[in-house]
Amino acid sequence: MNDPVTIKVSEIIGSTDLIAAEDGQMVYELITKAFRNGRRVNLSFQNVDYMISAFLHPAIGQLYGGKFDEEFILSHLEYSDITEDDKKTLERVIRDAKAYFKDPKRAEAARNRMLGQESD
Amino acid sequence: MCAPFGAILHRTRQSINTVSIRNIQDRVRTILCKNGFLEPYGFPLMANTHGTTIPYKLFKPTDLSYFNSYVKAYLRGKGIPDMTEALRKKFYEGIMEIFSNAATHSETKMGIHACGQLFPKKDRLEFSISDLGIGIRMSILQMGDIDFTAAKAIQWAIAGRNTTRRGATPGGSGLKILREFVKKNNGRIQIVSDKGYWELNRGEERLKTLEHPFPGTVVNLEFNTADPKSYRLASEAQAQDIP
Repeated sequence: MNDPVTIKVSEIIGSTDLIAAEDGQMVYELITKAFRNGRRVNLSFQNVDYMISAFLHPAIGQLYGGKFDEEFILSHLEYSDITEDDKKTLERVIRDAKAYFKDPKRAEAARNRMLGQESD
Repeated sequence: MCAPFGAILHRTRQSINTVSIRNIQDRVRTILCKNGFLEPYGFPLMANTHGTTIPYKLFKPTDLSYFNSYVKAYLRGKGIPDMTEALRKKFYEGIMEIFSNAATHSETKMGIHACGQLFPKKDRLEFSISDLGIGIRMSILQMGDIDFTAAKAIQWAIAGRNTTRRGATPGGSGLKILREFVKKNNGRIQIVSDKGYWELNRGEERLKTLEHPFPGTVVNLEFNTADPKSYRLASEAQAQDIP
């Protein structure tokens, strides 16, 4: 298997604080682009001061939404320079994301409600 | 508790009322002048000489970066000798999770109010965030989930894998992460939303219904700043390590 492409999160978003959902979305798009090109990803948290779920859900939780199966994610994504505490936060986010996407009916209903609200 | 009080006064003033504050005890007035709470009511701003005050501020839900700068500016280098780097980081994360939660879920039209205070002799750091939004119960109800009582709604939001997040991106982990951390830190979280009250205090949880509702949500955090726990850097973590 080829060498992973390293994505240094703090360099990509230009900040040591991972707090904004938009930044999370940017990281998600980079990861999925690499996946689509058949590349493995090493997500580096070097120089990250702190991270919150508002960033992690779009960046990583969203990966579990069905475009890639779990086995693919396991074999194509690794994390580096991450503290034990941050790993626990990430684990919680992934658990919640999996639970959220396990019930697609509910997720779909939520999306439809949102679209309905937007078209009102 | 300046944040919820400030939120209520803000709402009162927005309804074209005049608010004046009188007969304050000297000690209380000093604190409220140092944190800027009384400034809009004609009291002078006093110097935060001991660096123990995190000023009272009003933010818009879109002010995430501004709020982040505010928290960092008023905590970094403020002489908190017992607070480890790991705890400082966790404290920032906790506060940012609450702000992000209020900005995402509350639908507040009257901003997000914040304030904090360090109590060095008690090894405690308190921070409060308040909004005048729809409250946790209504947020859950709008998602078509379950119609809880206000107190049960808070319990639901902070437990298990429940989420009031909308759309294609999952969410709703913020309060749970905070709860897990505060439990380990031996600190305290109090949440008031509508008539609901939930508290985690030194590992013990308490739930009750208040006689009168708060028109939004208040989260009050109390951290044990003498917590010596430290984190270690994991050299490498594979995706396989993370379930």
